Amino acid sequence: MSPLVYYLFTLAFFVFAYCILGWGLNLQFGEGGILNFAYIGFVAIGAYVTGALSLGKPQAGSGQTYIFGLSLPFPIGLILGGLAACVFALLVAVLTFRRLRTDYLAMVLISLSLVLYDVINNFVPLFNGADGLTNVPEPFADTLGLDPNTFVPFFAGVTLVIALIMWWLMSRITRSPLGRTLRATRDDPEAASALGKNVFRYQLTAMLIGSFYAGIGGGLIIEFAGAFNTSAWLPGETFLIFAAVIVGGVGNNKGMILGALIVPVLFTQLPKFIPDIPGHPGLILNIAAMAIGVLLMFVLWFRPQGVIPEKKRFSRLPAVLVGRRSGSTQQSAPLSTEDTL
Amino acid sequence: MTELFLAIGFGLVIASVLALSAVGLSLQFGITNYINFAYGDFMAVGAYIAWTLNTGPMHWNIWVSMIAGGVSVGILAVLLNRFLLAPFARKFQKLFYILIVTFGLSLVLLNLVSSVWGTEVQRYSISNESPFHVGPFLFTIDELVVVAIAIVAMLLIHFMLTRTRLGKSMRAMSDNSTLAMTSGIDTGRITTLTWFLSGLLAGIGGTVLGITQASITPGSGETFLFVIFAAVIVGGVGSIYGAMVGAVIVGLATEVAALFIDPSYKLDIAFAILILALLFRPNGLFARPGKA
Repeated sequence: MSPLVYYLFTLAFFVFAYCILGWGLNLQFGEGGILNFAYIGFVAIGAYVTGALSLGKPQAGSGQTYIFGLSLPFPIGLILGGLAACVFALLVAVLTFRRLRTDYLAMVLISLSLVLYDVINNFVPLFNGADGLTNVPEPFADTLGLDPNTFVPFFAGVTLVIALIMWWLMSRITRSPLGRTLRATRDDPEAASALGKNVFRYQLTAMLIGSFYAGIGGGLIIEFAGAFNTSAWLPGETFLIFAAVIVGGVGNNKGMILGALIVPVLFTQLPKFIPDIPGHPGLILNIAAMAIGVLLMFVLWFRPQGVIPEKKRFSRLPAVLVGRRSGSTQQSAPLSTEDTL
Repeated sequence: MTELFLAIGFGLVIASVLALSAVGLSLQFGITNYINFAYGDFMAVGAYIAWTLNTGPMHWNIWVSMIAGGVSVGILAVLLNRFLLAPFARKFQKLFYILIVTFGLSLVLLNLVSSVWGTEVQRYSISNESPFHVGPFLFTIDELVVVAIAIVAMLLIHFMLTRTRLGKSMRAMSDNSTLAMTSGIDTGRITTLTWFLSGLLAGIGGTVLGITQASITPGSGETFLFVIFAAVIVGGVGSIYGAMVGAVIVGLATEVAALFIDPSYKLDIAFAILILALLFRPNGLFARPGKA
């Protein structure tokens, strides 16, 4: 296979993986209003747990130390990785959600991601410290006899299937009463709780499902790359996913695909292949990162709803019943429906 | 016993660095009512400007460089507020947007610092005197100067807040900005001055962090940010005196804890304190009603 095709499949994989990550964050931030600045931490937990479960027992001479080492087959390790991220999210949410308003919560979460990073980096017995996990078995590579050339397109395909399932699930969730209540709590938590909605419980649910998506995305990344270490989840990575969600359109699952294409792929994967300017190692990547920051600010300023805005979702009831003033909605009212997704 | 005193001594130094930085963050939070997630990078910019002045062709004295770095960050903070943060805060009522903008700003500044100054570890050119005893404690001259700077700065801020028109206006705005405006306070001017002070303290804080840790990296301010958050939350967000007390608690606790645990986790103790504070005193030791 020519290197270009191989590379395109790699990019395709990243688009699918970042879509999954973006949908998870979108549920937490876009629908639920939780500013999860520790999102990459949940991705990392999913990746490490998936990796450590798929690897065999650590070999004495290999220099790798990690927990688990159960050699679990492909989807089981991945799913458990997603669930591990959920468990961690539960812990975080129970400790902090009830007590803190948006910005304090963001402060605690960003601190959490820095501390988690520090601990995993320094505590070698857990996930092999700063070197991270390597030689994670490639799913099905042995049974199907795949070599590195065929594994990449194959696993990109597997990821596409998983991404489609996760998209279907997410669009069910966002259309369900849960999604509707989440948007209500995001837009006005006081009003939602006055109407008897338990804001904490809804935000907890969003946090858990979103973290599951984070864990699955992380698990897929380690299974694809075969390795994962602390350089893969610097705290700035969270921002990358935020930028992808915002550029694609907050509260919009379809827009996410565009966001995943523009931010993580166009602005971070591609610049890695631009040759370094002599004497300035890493300058290109620094400039790309600054460009993402600037892009995000421009999008927020000129198109705060993202490139593809969130669809207004209307009630199925006639306007008279829900008391909407005529003329306040477009032509499609009063009988517009919400199952347009 | 000697080790404990050594730890307390260095804890006081860290507390001084923290106090300078935490007060700067708190002052700005009190006025604008949102957290500046780029604060750690403000510190890094100050540290590097001071480094250039200190080790570059000019060879300025480290303390003069520190002040110059602080003033530069103060000006940068005023400009960023004027042309970026204030317009966003005006345009969007929701807290989300402005927080994400400061988060994005931190990414931009971090990478800007890495592009301009590189990512190698740098040091200030300061004379390496051997430490000497002050009672049971052991300090170097530079560490004592850092402690002195922090004490003087805290006293100055105290007098500014209680005795000057500017400080009183700041407190009034922090309590109720609309009421402050109707009482004839020029809120725009106060906001600008607050950003300047916040940037000044960030720049000074970043430089003294580089001096006490004997290393400067683009990410050092950002990594230190959660320790600052811990100090600020322990003291009560937006409370200036709380930030000072929180700095002492967190500074001492991290250094003393390093006697009992692996020192590479000592800063993580700050996070443990933060969580404990949230569980038992969620509004901080000096809680202000309605701010949490």
